[in-house]
Amino acid sequence: MGSNRTGWLMLAPTLLILGVFGIVPFFYVLYLSFHQWNPFAANPNMIFIGANNFRRLVFDGEFLTSLWFTLKFAFFAVVSEIIIGYMLAQMLTRDFYGKGFFRTIHTLPLIVAPIVVGSVWRLMTTPSIGIIPYYLNKWFGYQLNIGSDATAAFIITVIMDIWHWTPLVTLTLLAAIVSLPKDPFEQAQIDGANRWQIFWHITLPMIRPAILATVFIRLMDALRTVDEVWMLTGGGPGAATRFVGLHIWKIVFPKTDYGYGSAISIIVLYLTLVMCWLLYVGLVAPRVRRSKVNADA
Amino acid sequence: MAEVKIKDIVKRYGELQVIHGVNVDIRDGEFVVLVGPSGCGKSTLLRMIAGLEPISDGEMLIDGKVVNKVLPKDRDIAMVFQSYALYPHKTVAENMGFSLKIKGVPKPEIEAKVKQAASVLDLGKLLDRYPRQLSGGQRQRVAMGRAIVRDPRVFLFDEPLSNLDAKLRVAMRVEIKELHQRLKTTIIYVTHDQIEAMTMADKIVVMKDGYVEQIGAPLDLYDNPSNVFVAGFIGSPSMNFIKGSIRSDGGAQRFVSDHGSVLPVRPLPVSDGHPVIYGVRPEHITLGPGGLPVRVAVVEPTGAETQIFARSNEDAIDAMLRDRIAVRAGDHVNFVVDPVNAHVFDQQTTKRIS
Repeated sequence: MGSNRTGWLMLAPTLLILGVFGIVPFFYVLYLSFHQWNPFAANPNMIFIGANNFRRLVFDGEFLTSLWFTLKFAFFAVVSEIIIGYMLAQMLTRDFYGKGFFRTIHTLPLIVAPIVVGSVWRLMTTPSIGIIPYYLNKWFGYQLNIGSDATAAFIITVIMDIWHWTPLVTLTLLAAIVSLPKDPFEQAQIDGANRWQIFWHITLPMIRPAILATVFIRLMDALRTVDEVWMLTGGGPGAATRFVGLHIWKIVFPKTDYGYGSAISIIVLYLTLVMCWLLYVGLVAPRVRRSKVNADA
Repeated sequence: MAEVKIKDIVKRYGELQVIHGVNVDIRDGEFVVLVGPSGCGKSTLLRMIAGLEPISDGEMLIDGKVVNKVLPKDRDIAMVFQSYALYPHKTVAENMGFSLKIKGVPKPEIEAKVKQAASVLDLGKLLDRYPRQLSGGQRQRVAMGRAIVRDPRVFLFDEPLSNLDAKLRVAMRVEIKELHQRLKTTIIYVTHDQIEAMTMADKIVVMKDGYVEQIGAPLDLYDNPSNVFVAGFIGSPSMNFIKGSIRSDGGAQRFVSDHGSVLPVRPLPVSDGHPVIYGVRPEHITLGPGGLPVRVAVVEPTGAETQIFARSNEDAIDAMLRDRIAVRAGDHVNFVVDPVNAHVFDQQTTKRIS
């Protein structure tokens, strides 16, 4: 009994913080999403409107476009980060001159705040003063202007996200790779596998849990990207980079439409959960089930 | 089926040389055991045969072809690792069939071969399991099955039994030997356990500190160890060694220890007073009249045998007797040695004299 109480006491601060900053706001947002509430409007009262916010959402072209852009953004960013991160992790398992220096430099973006990343990239991409437009023009004669070219703006946001978050992927995959046992790889060589076959049949399945965990983390992050992009493009040009997080921000803050913004937040959370669940069902669960069946046999 | 020639093989890690010009000829179908204490370079040598470790100097030939620069995947050898090195994410069947799949062998053929190997190793019911669902002994079998399926030119075993319990180890020893008799494929087997070496090998290569100490048939090594190290390493319990010199004093030669114990020898080509190490195996000592008077220190009866740890002056001598003998600590008995069973080594070179 005594130890039980001590246990709860030890957990109390965490539970308190989680409750105050996580659970209570969540239910508050859920509550808001069923209301019409604009505290700065003529009628600042909260009015219960049932599922009307959600109904509005389905026909909201702006929202659907932003969702589509977000999915594209998340897909390109996460896939690139995993591929580049894996290659860098493999490189870091080998010894080369300046490895320590490279690892430090490469990890630096991780400790930079997103808002700063956005500012830096904004500086680097501003047509008259940025280094990127300057060299693109000098070397390829290409005029980069993310203020007017929607595709270029979208690509730059993806590249910025890759720049910022690939180090995280590298670190997690590097940890996974170095903790792998050495013997199966030697066995695979003896079994006659070439490098590609070893990668495909041995390395990839063995670091699969780490890859999946990283994909989950990065996917969730990418779906709620706000600050970097807000700083870089402000969602423009037009709405070309107005990802769903930015869209919510625009509705909640400049437009102060709290009810509708809450509804979008809830839906985005729901979609994120569904996507992770689909990934889990598609990639993780079959294996677990398969081995359970075998264990029972 | 292949013969393996190891010619002046040297292994260096930077400045550090760990294998110093090793030469071994392995005939087609031979079962060769590399044995030695840990750190003697036996596993490194095996890994060089496999191609997992680059060769610093010398030549490695498989079937007459130099393979120094040939990748492991192109050497057509199979290896069983001490850790078994099973692919954790593949089932037993997938583990066993992997090498064939890589080669592009048609699926039905892979299945047939896996099934056949599984039945040989009694793995039939485990084919759909994952390595983590198997016991140590079963994993060991899968590792062997994976090697058998290959039908390789050479089998390499790197201490495959050292993670098994004593009983299973004996059983697997017999199985590997049977396997060799049936397949007649060249086997190179690394172990630190001299019993494994003695029971399984056609030929034993005893290594120490990166040098080959002696190569020969098991009983040959047992009967005629070429130096003190081999004499002490082969045989269990280990051979008794006593320091002393050869004396004749005009009559027949005999051994006199530094502490005055006297033991018989065969005629030796050495001068009087030559410093030697006298070796005799515990199992070659009998009790009887005459011989060396000793005081019993400890008696260890094991049922089948009785081991006596005794002292003669300051010299420690063990005897392993076939019978149950009513001796107790503190008793005085006589140890009798047939000079035929005495091994005499030069003290300076530790090489065999007789």
